[in-house]
Amino acid sequence: MTKHIETEIDSWEIGGKTLQSRLLIGSALYPSPANMEEAIKISGAQIVTVSLRRQAAGEGGGNAFWEIIRSLGIDVLPNTAGSHSAKEAITTAQMAREVFGTNWIKLEVIGDQYTLQPDPFETVKAAEVLIKEGFEVFPYTTDDLVVAKRLADVGCKIIMPWGSMIGSGKGLMNPDNLLAIRKQFPNLQLVVDAGIGKPSHATQAMELGYDGVLLNSAIALAQDPVKMADAFRTAVEAGRLGYEAGMMQEREFASPSTPTVGTPFWHQFS
Amino acid sequence: MIEIIVNGKRTTIPNGLNIKETIKALDYKGKGFAVALNGTFIALATYETTMVRDNDSIEILAPVQGG
Repeated sequence: MTKHIETEIDSWEIGGKTLQSRLLIGSALYPSPANMEEAIKISGAQIVTVSLRRQAAGEGGGNAFWEIIRSLGIDVLPNTAGSHSAKEAITTAQMAREVFGTNWIKLEVIGDQYTLQPDPFETVKAAEVLIKEGFEVFPYTTDDLVVAKRLADVGCKIIMPWGSMIGSGKGLMNPDNLLAIRKQFPNLQLVVDAGIGKPSHATQAMELGYDGVLLNSAIALAQDPVKMADAFRTAVEAGRLGYEAGMMQEREFASPSTPTVGTPFWHQFS
Repeated sequence: MIEIIVNGKRTTIPNGLNIKETIKALDYKGKGFAVALNGTFIALATYETTMVRDNDSIEILAPVQGG
């Protein structure tokens, strides 16, 4: 490995916490709990998403999964996955706050079962209620600028537009839309959530100036999730460094990089 | 006895139980779960003052993996 230049340790703030990693990672779909644990560790992520589901009678309150997550000592971000209305999402968030002991909530209200596209109307409605109840809302939304505005209007300090459909791995469908949201809200924390399939997608999101990237399937469904977690860690770092370094402007025409003065065998065309 | 729905399945419990007693009657153990009654969150602190009635629907949720 080539040693990179000495730079200050990159840190950012989200939900009242100062973090060094800009990668938020999911905890689902791994081949095994041990594999999940190792992938999360290697990723360097300091936020891991979790969820709530029906518990069968006779089971103890604790479970092996939750014990592993707690042992990692990183922040958990519970989601409201499966909610189809503001009311369901609000109730799930309240239940998550009690179980996980955090006021953070990844707000997901699904509006279409085929695309898992979020319902913007119910999402805004739920966000407004939850913020009044003291939650730090991480809303999963589309890349629609007006929806982002509405979420900001009701008090969201974090907005998480999708790259593309959940679990699709298609990457950033509309980078121009994502850029428009970034430009409109320079002071909000923006995280691309969902649709990331390759490390290069994460790099692209970070190059757009996004504060972070949230993903799950791209790591968990890789042939080697632990190695892929490492790849995403470096991809996110690369994208952030690239953004901070300031990228060159695109040009319409070629421009030689080798000096033209003293070009051998050159002669003036008549 | 009254009939209630627990996590989508019909079951029966004695009449006159509160949430805490209902959870015990249903054989749920530990504390790592949360409860909603008829779609409304029931905080742990109010289990003993919240009564369960005929045809009520209860959700009992615990931590799982999530994306």
